[in-house]
Amino acid sequence: MIDSKTLNAWFCQEVLPLERALTAFIRRNWRVADEVVDIRQEIYERVLSGASNGLPAHAPSFVYTLARNHLINSAKRARIVSFDLVADLESVDRDVDMLAADRHLTARDELRRAQEGLARLSPRCQEVVRLRKLEGLSTREAAERLGVGKDAVERQLVMGMRALVDFMAGGTGKIVWQNRQRARKTRGEP
Amino acid sequence: MSPAAEIEDRAAQWLMRREEADWSDAEQAALDAWLDASMAHKAAYWRLEHHWRRADKLRALGGGTVEPLETRRERPRRIWWTAIAASLLAVAGAGAAIYGFGPEKPQAIADARFTTPVGGHRIVPLSDGSRIEMNTATLVRTAMTGENREVWLDTGEAYFEVAHRAGQPFIVHAGSRTVTVLGTKFSVRRDGEKVTVSVLEGRVRVDDASAQTVPAAIITAGDIAIARGPSTLLAARSEERVESALAWRNGMLTFDQSTLAEAATEFNRYNRKRIEIADPEAADIRIGGTFRASGVDDFVALLRDAYGLKVEADAAVIRISS
Repeated sequence: MIDSKTLNAWFCQEVLPLERALTAFIRRNWRVADEVVDIRQEIYERVLSGASNGLPAHAPSFVYTLARNHLINSAKRARIVSFDLVADLESVDRDVDMLAADRHLTARDELRRAQEGLARLSPRCQEVVRLRKLEGLSTREAAERLGVGKDAVERQLVMGMRALVDFMAGGTGKIVWQNRQRARKTRGEP
Repeated sequence: MSPAAEIEDRAAQWLMRREEADWSDAEQAALDAWLDASMAHKAAYWRLEHHWRRADKLRALGGGTVEPLETRRERPRRIWWTAIAASLLAVAGAGAAIYGFGPEKPQAIADARFTTPVGGHRIVPLSDGSRIEMNTATLVRTAMTGENREVWLDTGEAYFEVAHRAGQPFIVHAGSRTVTVLGTKFSVRRDGEKVTVSVLEGRVRVDDASAQTVPAAIITAGDIAIARGPSTLLAARSEERVESALAWRNGMLTFDQSTLAEAATEFNRYNRKRIEIADPEAADIRIGGTFRASGVDDFVALLRDAYGLKVEADAAVIRISS
């Protein structure tokens, strides 16, 4: 059994840099765009479970194999069968280079990426993230500074954190909030 | 929220709490228990923690002042561009001296022509930092001079990511329409007389080059403008529709309640083997979903198996009838 710290380090160094390519791979092979993030999360879960018994020698092929199998199983379960996704995936080139990583980001690229991600946030999120990251304010201090409630700051910070991380990880930096509003409505919350 | 979003939201709350000064041992124990409960929790939390920590580099910008990001970002870039422009001019000047040309108008940096075959897909970087992503059967010409940035879309479809340059509009000529932008992401598609402009980010202006009196249409992110002859139709604002209009960039075609006839036309843009619909009844069947643009055979198999249509195929044509 691999301990949690080693597993975490392996996940950050070997798996997370594959995220952009992995997302593109799922998107190409899954018809429902809204489910791509869920599927990626499920693949990560399987990757960690698999690796916790022993770290694989080659992370990209390990991730790719799990991703492919997971897509095939999900397609079978969802019975999207008439369009032959499964056969398509089974015949697909086993080209692991597809998961070539963006791992050679220099510190400068990282800074640029972080800046760009920050610039993409909504003005309120941006303000809160900036107070946190640049000035190191706690949520209470940020709330005092902005003259709003601590809850509001926490909500904006959670949103800003998720969107910025998505962008840093190679995504669009967009988090879908409509779902949340819709979910709230159906649950009768404000 | 979807299950993944739910977990990620929770993980973000933990991460935020943990950075606070009053983080307690009891909270640490609760976090550990939450992480141990599922690999999915670990994956979401570790991913956020890793990238969020990388964003600490923002502090290198010097905390203290909260200056608007835009100015900080633009300043060095502009200096960089000026330097490049200066060195290009220097090179051009040197060339002129060697070959004995007199001092002339600003030199053209690039005058070029790019094509893709049927089913092709190509990305062309331009000298100003912009990118053109070309779809199937497309012909594009570019003229990038010191002052003007112009592109002609002669046939087909292309997606543009335009680098912002103050005072230098980027102009796309598509048949009777000209599209003018300052810095944005959008696509232009030509089907004969019909010109479709879909905007992913920013704003563009669409002019009718043949009629000076008609006011220009301004379209913003999430809009689709369809121009034919003298009229321009602005489709209802929808980011989803713009995203499906751009699905080809992933090699996919997306249909939402399209007729089979329309779907067949789309597939025929990407493939040499053509789909022909033999009767109007079949042509009117509604199709929805996302398909691989090169997967004609899969699409046809679906029509046969799921819709019970008749399929006859030879090397060049697939005939579909009800």
